[in-house]
Amino acid sequence: MPNFNIDAQKEVTYDAIVIGSGISGGWAAKELCEKGLKTLVLERGPIVEHVKDYPTMNLDPWDMELRGGLTPEEKAKHYKTMRTGFIGKDTEHFWANDEENPYTEVKPFLWVRGHQMGGRSLLWGKQTYRWSDLDFEANAKDGNGVDWPIRYADIAPWYTYVEKFAGISGEALGLPQLPDSHFLPPMELNCVEKHVKARIEESFPGRNMIIGRVAHLTEPLNGRGKCQYRNRCSRGCPYGAYFSSNAVTLPAANATGNLTIRPYSIVQSIVYDDQKGQATGVRIIDAETNEDIVYNARIIFCNASALGSTQILLNSTSSRFENGLGNDSGELGHNLMDHTYRVGAMGKVEGFDDKYYKGRRPNGIYIPRYVNLQDGPQSDKFVRGFGFQGGGGRGSNPANLPAVGADLKAQLVQPGSWEFFITGFAECLPYHENKVTLNHDVLDKWGQPTLSIDAEFKENELALNRQIQIDAVEMLEKAGLKDVMGFDNQHPPGYGIHEMGTARMGRDPKTSVLNGFNQVHAAKNVFVTDGACMTSSSCVNPSLTYMALTARAADHAVSELNKRNL
Amino acid sequence: MNRREALRKTGFLAGASLAAPSLLALLQSCQAEPRLDWTPEFLSDDEAVFVASFVDTLLPTTDTPGALDVKADMFMDKIWAHTYDEAGQQAVRADIAKFNADCTASYGKPFAELNEEDRKKLMLEAEAASPTFNGGVWGTAVGEQKPVGFYRSLKSMAIWAYTTSEKVGTEVLTYDPIPGGYNGCLPLEEVGNRYSL
Repeated sequence: MPNFNIDAQKEVTYDAIVIGSGISGGWAAKELCEKGLKTLVLERGPIVEHVKDYPTMNLDPWDMELRGGLTPEEKAKHYKTMRTGFIGKDTEHFWANDEENPYTEVKPFLWVRGHQMGGRSLLWGKQTYRWSDLDFEANAKDGNGVDWPIRYADIAPWYTYVEKFAGISGEALGLPQLPDSHFLPPMELNCVEKHVKARIEESFPGRNMIIGRVAHLTEPLNGRGKCQYRNRCSRGCPYGAYFSSNAVTLPAANATGNLTIRPYSIVQSIVYDDQKGQATGVRIIDAETNEDIVYNARIIFCNASALGSTQILLNSTSSRFENGLGNDSGELGHNLMDHTYRVGAMGKVEGFDDKYYKGRRPNGIYIPRYVNLQDGPQSDKFVRGFGFQGGGGRGSNPANLPAVGADLKAQLVQPGSWEFFITGFAECLPYHENKVTLNHDVLDKWGQPTLSIDAEFKENELALNRQIQIDAVEMLEKAGLKDVMGFDNQHPPGYGIHEMGTARMGRDPKTSVLNGFNQVHAAKNVFVTDGACMTSSSCVNPSLTYMALTARAADHAVSELNKRNL
Repeated sequence: MNRREALRKTGFLAGASLAAPSLLALLQSCQAEPRLDWTPEFLSDDEAVFVASFVDTLLPTTDTPGALDVKADMFMDKIWAHTYDEAGQQAVRADIAKFNADCTASYGKPFAELNEEDRKKLMLEAEAASPTFNGGVWGTAVGEQKPVGFYRSLKSMAIWAYTTSEKVGTEVLTYDPIPGGYNGCLPLEEVGNRYSL
């Protein structure tokens, strides 16, 4: 196991500083360290060393005193994030403390955070999809938001680059709207999923149902083991089978000897030197001692999560940037997006009662976008589109069994009935008025201003959701499912945990914060390569794109340093 | 030592025949005796006897362990004691009281004092009258969830307590902690019972 150098006391000057150690920060650290830069990673929370700091990874329910239940105090600590339904005793320590880190919901919004080394890369869903030109051209074509400064061709080699190291399993299909990754072998569909797939694809030409493309190893890679199908990912994987900063990028960065990671480091601001016309360092507060320290570096990568990075930029004021670093356009904090979530359909599948499966597959099915494709018919109800995740299994709730006593016991030990669901993820348009602002009236535990979040889904997203539910019900009915029930939990933004935007990339400094290499237009040694940079939201999961953009930006940064342009 | 053995060894059931189908029915025949061999953290003794009678009727000992054998009632007490806030705890007490009041109105006695046949009858009536849980997606119910009521909530909790006990989880259900791979289509008989994990 790597023992990380956490001694940042000796040295306050580095070649590079990376703020945050989640999915994108881990990649920034790896790339910059491997290119020879002495790199300091500032992490808000504690060190989480791969395996060593996964205290619950092998616990069965009966090994936990309350079998996963949380005390009222623990629930209070996560009183907002509890809404996800994801938090139990097995993962409680990896979700941020909502009481110590408040935010204000001007409109309902769920901000899910992971404040430890690795961030949410320990907790993510691992669904990994390339974006396509359908996504990168969308803003330019329908006039919403501003144009992306890049196209698929700019990022495609970087997708391949990060995929080869991260390890993505999936099936190549050649779909233009969902380009194939560099794949490890796909995971397997179960018998009911194969059955539903065949019926849907037969009834709806142009629609595909595939196994999810995921950042799980189906073959060993670089010393990491393959997935053992325990589905205990969010506790930390002892095999390193899924991609996390902890298991993959940070050990690689550490192996170079160039990495220092400083835990308990709350970034207060990025220091900008008006005379030099560039950023010179980062001011932190030690979360444990409240000490105020400035670290210096030639380049700074901001990877604190979409809203975390934007909060830091907004708080980084100077005479040059009175409204936040890089905010000449007034767009910093604006254009917040997330995917819509938990709208779809479910039903029962008959005829497979004598079939079961082995293994708890941490993955499901995916139905790629089929509406408003480049060459297909265009909807008159909405722009953009949606995809579905879902899956089938024998997990019906035994508390619904209409029996008691010995009858109930006999039924209870049998696998449940086969159920199948699909749930849509719709693209959200970038609206200037969906925004975050600094709130100086509500301070966090360290006296720092917090965020007020003012965002909502609007008519286009609601129209997409209506279509999702209609299509979901129709597909499951055509597939022969019984008791098909459509649903729309009407979650506000944030529940998708794909928050994007608020420091968008663009071609024009007047309407965007970052350029085509994720550099702040007016402070080019500051790079923002997490979800904040996104110019539109696509309908597919974004993390793979953050990885690729980060590797690409790090390459550009080092090239510019070598040319003495930074 | 299982629950029944424990109860016997405390002298609780001295002289009583263990061949009788219901433990709690026996307990009720001797009101002056202490009713429990353990001290609940949250429940009163009367409430604990109710919970024990409920879970014993719901999941009795057969050729496999019953709820009392795996101390489901004691675990449920612990859950109420340590994971419910005060309002939630008060609601549980009120629900138990109402369940017993309704039981007394219909059957003349609180639940624990009914014979086995009447308890099952009452439970099946409650079963038919209680809405079921909606399906869920990733940890959250979807669709319009009707309130399921106390009976199904308690049943759900009892089943959870039962199936997450080590004995049931490893010896009754199919225990497969490290599957190692995935096979999406197997004849059911090759697996046997429902997986515990």
